[in-house]
Amino acid sequence: MRLFHGQRAWVLQRLTALVVLLLLALTAATLLIGPAPSYERWHALATSAPGAVLIVIFFAALCGHAWVGVRDIVLDYIQPTALRLPLLALIAFILIAITLRVTLTMATHFTVGA
Amino acid sequence: MRLSIYRYNPESDAAPRMQDYDIALGGHDKKLLDVLMRIRETDDSLSFRRSCREGVCGSDAMNINGRNGLACITAVSDLKEPVVLRPLPGFPVIRDLIVDMTQFFTHYNSIKPYLINDQIPPERERLQSPEQRERLNGLYECILCACCSAFCPSYWWNPSKFVGPAGLLQAYRFITDSRDTATRERLAYLDDVYRLYRCRTIMNCTEVCPKGLSPSHAIEQIRVALLRESS
Repeated sequence: MRLFHGQRAWVLQRLTALVVLLLLALTAATLLIGPAPSYERWHALATSAPGAVLIVIFFAALCGHAWVGVRDIVLDYIQPTALRLPLLALIAFILIAITLRVTLTMATHFTVGA
Repeated sequence: MRLSIYRYNPESDAAPRMQDYDIALGGHDKKLLDVLMRIRETDDSLSFRRSCREGVCGSDAMNINGRNGLACITAVSDLKEPVVLRPLPGFPVIRDLIVDMTQFFTHYNSIKPYLINDQIPPERERLQSPEQRERLNGLYECILCACCSAFCPSYWWNPSKFVGPAGLLQAYRFITDSRDTATRERLAYLDDVYRLYRCRTIMNCTEVCPKGLSPSHAIEQIRVALLRESS
């Protein structure tokens, strides 16, 4: 079994980049159209059901994208396996934690908002 | 003409050094290789490879003023002085401008650079349509001079694992050959985080190829072929 795959990560990196780009464009378009951006408007956007789901998707895609990029840097520069595996595990932990934290925060907002 | 050339003889030198040469050019000294041959008339200790002296064999690849190229097709008139000559970057130096190409050719061999076809051969030859033959253009011309691989940061970082632009260009030459029947095996071999996917599309390879080929395009085509294969 191979520990690190080639194509899967490459596809993941490109798909997540596309998702991040689309959601950034969508956010920009949302803010440009309609009333001037304010805290109330941000809050309303983030606590609406579609807004919360899109924010979670955005951070999940961002962390997935970052995983492939940081993994590539580690594979290039950190050669000893004894150092490499714990480092990769730490990075994966941090990225998963960020995604979970955002998901939980959004869920809380959504529950409170509802 | 003033040149500054990397000198290193592992048998007598503790460390590499740069040696300056001032050479009066003759009327026939048009290419850098001519100048190097002229230096050899007075200093026969200077070592470099050369053979065909017309950009076909790829022996005299070296780093010329910070850019990899073939000495035999590099016009003297295009060079800024002092001309700094170093061995191909990232390759182990054997002596002066001669580098050890063992690993480079190990990667080349790993992609099985020959036609694989177990079908019964036809009476005369395996025919191709003009379109099928056209697909080999820009691939078969590679002379394996290693200018591209020695200018690729990804290859510098992982020389033992990344096949490198030259090897991957050659791999695609057989992947896209209509007469080859081992496409699936070839793609399966390359679907690896190191062998193919260490390429970051830096495109130094395409920028520096003295034959005007595009290894980065070939690498992209391999990735597309892998996507098609898996979908």
